[in-house]
Amino acid sequence: MGRIQFLIRCMFRHKLRTILTMLSLVTAFLLFLMLRSVAVVFEAGWVDFEETRLTTQSKYSMIDRLPLAHEDVIHSIDGVVEVTHASWFGGVFKEGETGDATFAIDPTTYFKVYSEYVVDPDQLAEFQSTRTAALAPESLMEKYGWEIGQKIPVISPIHPNPTGGPWIFDLVGTYASPDESNAFLAFLFHYERMVDTFAYGTAGWYMLTIDDPDRADEISAAIDKKFENSSDETRTMTESESFRQFAAQLGDISLIVTGILSAVFFTMILLTANTMVQGYHERVSELAVMKTLGFSNASVSVYILAEALLMCCISAAIGIGVGTLVVIGIQDYMPPMIPIYFDPITCAWAGLIAIGLGALVGSVPAINANRLVIVDALHAH
Amino acid sequence: MSLVSLQSVSKTYTKGRERVDVLANLSLDIQENDFVALMGPSGSGKTTVLNLIGGLDHPTDGEVFVGGASLKSLSAGKLARWRSQNIGFVFQFYNLLPALTAQRNVELPLLLTKLKGKERKQNALTALDIVGLADRSRHRPSQLSGGQQQRVAIARAIVADPAILVCDEPTGDLDRTNAEEILDLLETLNRKHEKTIVMVTHDPKAAEHAKTTVYLDKGQLSVQEPSTSEN
Repeated sequence: MGRIQFLIRCMFRHKLRTILTMLSLVTAFLLFLMLRSVAVVFEAGWVDFEETRLTTQSKYSMIDRLPLAHEDVIHSIDGVVEVTHASWFGGVFKEGETGDATFAIDPTTYFKVYSEYVVDPDQLAEFQSTRTAALAPESLMEKYGWEIGQKIPVISPIHPNPTGGPWIFDLVGTYASPDESNAFLAFLFHYERMVDTFAYGTAGWYMLTIDDPDRADEISAAIDKKFENSSDETRTMTESESFRQFAAQLGDISLIVTGILSAVFFTMILLTANTMVQGYHERVSELAVMKTLGFSNASVSVYILAEALLMCCISAAIGIGVGTLVVIGIQDYMPPMIPIYFDPITCAWAGLIAIGLGALVGSVPAINANRLVIVDALHAH
Repeated sequence: MSLVSLQSVSKTYTKGRERVDVLANLSLDIQENDFVALMGPSGSGKTTVLNLIGGLDHPTDGEVFVGGASLKSLSAGKLARWRSQNIGFVFQFYNLLPALTAQRNVELPLLLTKLKGKERKQNALTALDIVGLADRSRHRPSQLSGGQQQRVAIARAIVADPAILVCDEPTGDLDRTNAEEILDLLETLNRKHEKTIVMVTHDPKAAEHAKTTVYLDKGQLSVQEPSTSEN
């Protein structure tokens, strides 16, 4: 029996309690890894987005719309290559559902800005030439079982059809992105269909491509300066930052995640500390015997501390391992608005938290073990 | 020269404002290879003497010498190391670790040595063999009888080959048959393996196994005499 084996034997002296505590810790670390894998994207932005693409939106709120006249002004800025615009339509395809991303776009320029999108040239030509045409991503086609040529009724709570009833679109084709995990693919239709709505003449936001990614900040500043002190001031940013801000409208994801994890780990501290303290009280006489046999105060304390660290670190390793497999397994299948990204730094943080947690919950029993007076402990037990 | 020498030792415990004088100016010498039974009424200071000899406690006054060395000068850490090398402890209630098998309980003191795993295991099995429990090495304490547990405790006490065994009522929790077996074992360790044994007991029959019986009363040595069985 070596020291490590002795440590493990002591740790599992009350098997059920130790296993239950470890399962709780595994769950906590699994939760930590998964939630942090979501939060890390919201904190860092969608780093894989093409940073030669910028977004210009209203300075004060993304709900505020911008005049269509901005398009030419933006185009005139040095370094801007292509400009297009889009408007959030809030379309609902099936009664009772919350709706899917539905954009009113400029059909002639949209696919120039999103040049990586794959669309059949014939379908694109038909889309551009037909006012009632629409393009849908494969995911929506599958979700609703649509077929090309089908008429698609769409209800919009934001933009109701002035004639009453739903908007009807002709589904003329489909499109895809080479990297669907990082694309925000929407149901697309002609901006001209909005002619009868209050939003006509304005755009929700502009997307533009630039000639040099290194000039993103400079060009963003130049665009915003053009509209400074006007009634429609703008805020231009990279696409990844724009998506991050859009997602943040759901709430401060990072804050929510931090709140949840704080509550989880606070509970874990109490639970694990309780296990350690119970274990210590049950073993006072055993610790006194160890000291009697010649184990020093320090070595007995180290055993107690090591036991707590071992319990937390083994649990963390299992939680991190399972969490990593889950995150890597699902990250390619997550919808764009709920991205998840495996970040090795999260694992490092989990490891540090495990060490900190172990040290924290083990420190009190370890100090008590250090101070344990052999004669008193043997006499009391 | 005596192996163990208590020189004018006093021990006072303080409980709140109350002072309890357990030992008062006690002097006692124990020769090498002696088997001493410490007897006396409850509260006479027997266990305190045992604790002082074993380096588990320090006297309020006076000095304890073991093997010619004063325990007073040793720091807590050095005293712990000294205990691991020089003293074997046997308790009334065995005090085995329930999570460990008999062999691993016996091996425990050897974790403090530089012996390799294989050597530790071999020494533990040898110690168990000496106490007649080699065939119970894989049993946990809960799977052993009281007498067997005390034998494991004795094996643990001798595994590091200490010169002195201190036994605090080693038969106090056993029936007569098991008690006699344990006392015979201690006697064997004293005679055959030349261990110096200091044993606290209330039982005159147990004391008959010792070479010397020391009577304590109110913290003072009242009588020190050869045991009746000694010749």
